[in-house]
Amino acid sequence: MTEYVLIIIGAVLVNNFVLTRFLGICPFLGVSKKLDTALGMCGAVIFVMTAASAVTWLISRFILSADGIFYTDLQYMQTIAFILVIASFVQLVDIAMKKIVPALHGALGIFLPLITTNCAVMGVAILNVQLKYNFMKAVVFGFAASLGFSLALIIFTGLREKIDRANPPKAFQGVAIALITAGLLSLAFMGFAGLVK
Amino acid sequence: MHPVLTTTLAIGGVGAACGGALAMAAKFLAVHEDPRIEETANLLPGANCGGCAYAGCADYAKAIILDDAEINLCAPGGESTLCALAAMMGVEASAAEKKVAIVLCGGDSDKAPRKFAYNGIADCTAANSTGAGDKKCAYGCLGYGSCSRACPTGAIEISKGLATIHPELCIGCGACVKTCPRKLIHMIPASRTMHILCSSKDKGPIVKKACSVGCIGCTKCTKMVEDEAITMQGPLAIVDYTKDYTNEETIEACPGKCIKKVPAVAKAMAGRQGSTVD
Amino acid sequence: MKIENAQFRVDGGIHPVYNKHLAKDNAIQAMPLPSLLRVSMSQHLGAPAKPVVAKGDTVLRGQIIGEPAGFISAAVHAPTSGTVKAIVQAPTATGQSVAAVEIEPDCEDKWRDDIKGNPNWESLEVKELIDLVSDAGVAGMGGAGFPTHVKLSPPPNKTIDTLIINGAECEPYLTADNRLMIEQAENIWTGCRIIMKILGAQTVRVAIEDNKPEAIEAMEMAMASTEGNVAIVKLKTEYPQGAEKQQIFAITGKEVPSAGLPMDVGAVVENVGTTLAVWDAVVNGKPLTERVTSVTGTPVSKPGNIRNRIGTSYGDLIEFCGGTEGDTAKIISGGPMMGFAQSSLEVTTTKTTSGLLLLPPKLVTNYSSTPCISCGRCVDGCPMYLMPCELSQMIEAEDYSAAREINLMDCIECGCCAFQCPAHRPLVQHMRQGKGQVMIMMREEKEKEAEKTKD
Repeated sequence: MTEYVLIIIGAVLVNNFVLTRFLGICPFLGVSKKLDTALGMCGAVIFVMTAASAVTWLISRFILSADGIFYTDLQYMQTIAFILVIASFVQLVDIAMKKIVPALHGALGIFLPLITTNCAVMGVAILNVQLKYNFMKAVVFGFAASLGFSLALIIFTGLREKIDRANPPKAFQGVAIALITAGLLSLAFMGFAGLVK
Repeated sequence: MHPVLTTTLAIGGVGAACGGALAMAAKFLAVHEDPRIEETANLLPGANCGGCAYAGCADYAKAIILDDAEINLCAPGGESTLCALAAMMGVEASAAEKKVAIVLCGGDSDKAPRKFAYNGIADCTAANSTGAGDKKCAYGCLGYGSCSRACPTGAIEISKGLATIHPELCIGCGACVKTCPRKLIHMIPASRTMHILCSSKDKGPIVKKACSVGCIGCTKCTKMVEDEAITMQGPLAIVDYTKDYTNEETIEACPGKCIKKVPAVAKAMAGRQGSTVD
Repeated sequence: MKIENAQFRVDGGIHPVYNKHLAKDNAIQAMPLPSLLRVSMSQHLGAPAKPVVAKGDTVLRGQIIGEPAGFISAAVHAPTSGTVKAIVQAPTATGQSVAAVEIEPDCEDKWRDDIKGNPNWESLEVKELIDLVSDAGVAGMGGAGFPTHVKLSPPPNKTIDTLIINGAECEPYLTADNRLMIEQAENIWTGCRIIMKILGAQTVRVAIEDNKPEAIEAMEMAMASTEGNVAIVKLKTEYPQGAEKQQIFAITGKEVPSAGLPMDVGAVVENVGTTLAVWDAVVNGKPLTERVTSVTGTPVSKPGNIRNRIGTSYGDLIEFCGGTEGDTAKIISGGPMMGFAQSSLEVTTTKTTSGLLLLPPKLVTNYSSTPCISCGRCVDGCPMYLMPCELSQMIEAEDYSAAREINLMDCIECGCCAFQCPAHRPLVQHMRQGKGQVMIMMREEKEKEAEKTKD
């Protein structure tokens, strides 16, 4: 049990995907202008990252590893295989969701294609293999990583909404002040580094 | 087995499985959506100015297809968009003449005095609700620039406490009309040059005290034009922009000095767009 | 009857310099009739009254000259006998131009013939009492001017158990209510009993701030022999303790819900001036034609509490108080916190003119505001638990729907935030502007809704 708690704390705070590992920066800067869209993005990321960890773990274990169905170590094809699987998986979910739960698709729909091969999703799949997690741990890690992403995104969106209403000097307006804010936020998350031994 | 073969088989297999699943999904889970909506959205300028009163171009496109919205609502797109939309929808383009906004007030700070020193928020709505505005004239432009901030193209200039719209920059979106707390901004056909720059509904003597370029309701101009192109609404002369009013003698004749000729907007527009508007 | 201290206190609020000493001890003086009275048709919240007299008509004091135009509206009566000189458009204290009836007094001050008192009002039906109040055109005299007969006829599904008589007078400078309580405590108490009967309220609390010991004493004498659940509540002096929602909390511990009314927690708050007007309307049968206004501020030669006819111009009032000594930089109708600065002395008193305040130049500073430093003093000071700093920035960025979401519409415009702000930001002014814009938004939404249901 302790291990799972540590995985969650580690992925959310200490090694936050966005602010410490610098993965998933594009949606972090792209959809952080309004809280509504940011929340939609968070929902989509949580869903995709958790599911993708599960799917890629299965691919890695049963197809790519030496104990898999081919009895050959195919780990060097990992990246290509993961991109392939994640991309088509997200597309599949997108199509299915549109048909089965249109309401949810209305809320998350436009974000799903945006994160098909997001580096955070890719990152969590590869880290799962590198850290040699078992299936359960991999899913929990994927979920926790997406929680960490959501946390960072929501904090940043809140800040940006406030900055939008403020009146910074002309040279800092727009993306410039957003990047500075992101840097400061990242520094602040460094403070969690001593949390887990 | 040869490693190359294994790899090809493994990755190819995964790819084929994924592709197959997607193909099945696309076939069995397809949702029909009118393809014309996307086509229509592509025809619109994509400026998302909201001038059509819909939430952006995509929303307007949806409304055109699903709710039979008028196709001549897009001001920035102008004639070319209208024609394209008309061709697509298979309807006759109803001639929508290019419209521009104008501030019907000519009282700058030299001509229209203030009644008290206003030290509040520099916003017309706020100023208008503080003692009903600091301008002596209860109908004149307050000049705190709410319209100018709303203008997406920066066509409104505030000088000496009066807003003036540069017609050559105006795209006719009408965003300024909504912001003016005194309802001084009107949308008029771009080809018109003669204007009565006053909106005061006060009687002559009161207008005279409040502004040196106000309409005092003498009715002189109404008699100098044909076809009732200027009518009196109470003590205020109002130009009927659907009618022809070109008599430049009225400028000199007006005792209130509130009739102005604004340099031909139509020509300026033509120069910019490469086609005549009227 | 007992005297108790308030059990609760709203967080927030401020302690401005009160300066009540200027007029606190000056007994109410009746002002002689001025040469012209201009009676505005918009003296209350809601639709302005409709003038029903014409130029040249002779009117008697108490005759209706403006009929209520709708449910939330109140009748306007001639403040004296005389001739109607004209019906004009005249500015009110807020600057809006509305119809006003100009009356030239004939100096006989003759009452309407059918004025009839009801000394034994206790035998009257509730309906009759409400009609008497309504016919007399009584409107909240604390400042808001909400028509009293509307407040006294709550919908049948709301029971009112607590009546609060508001004698807090928390606005700095103003002393009119203080003097009324000292001089007419008996009549206020009778008025209070009338309202009690109308509402069927069992509990009565008379709320007075503890900086008015004489008023407390006077009210105590008047109420001494009363049985039942009746008490005077001493409030700790603090602005805005006289705002009804804050007062209800201070006394009952109940919070009026967001966007709700005091009747939602079973309470009704009436100002002491209004209570006195109810007494006058029922016991003497007299319509509301005069009120007490504090004319105060250091530039006034003889500050005082002046009983003046409604429609007296501010210029006449100041003249009656001996004019001014030294420079005056600002004239405010009402108190310094929530009053309206005036640009003309032509404006006339209404049922809601509780004070006329003149400020010397050293108290009027033109601040230029600087950006918000997020110190949170406005949040500490807000008696409605709002975040004025956030709200003002949203309104500055014209994001009205965001401001609405964080309860802009609950703002009571008391001005505590702007008073506290070290950056001199015009916070309350932003609130007022934002509320206006949200009001427009709400109206548009309603229209759209109505159109939808029509389809």
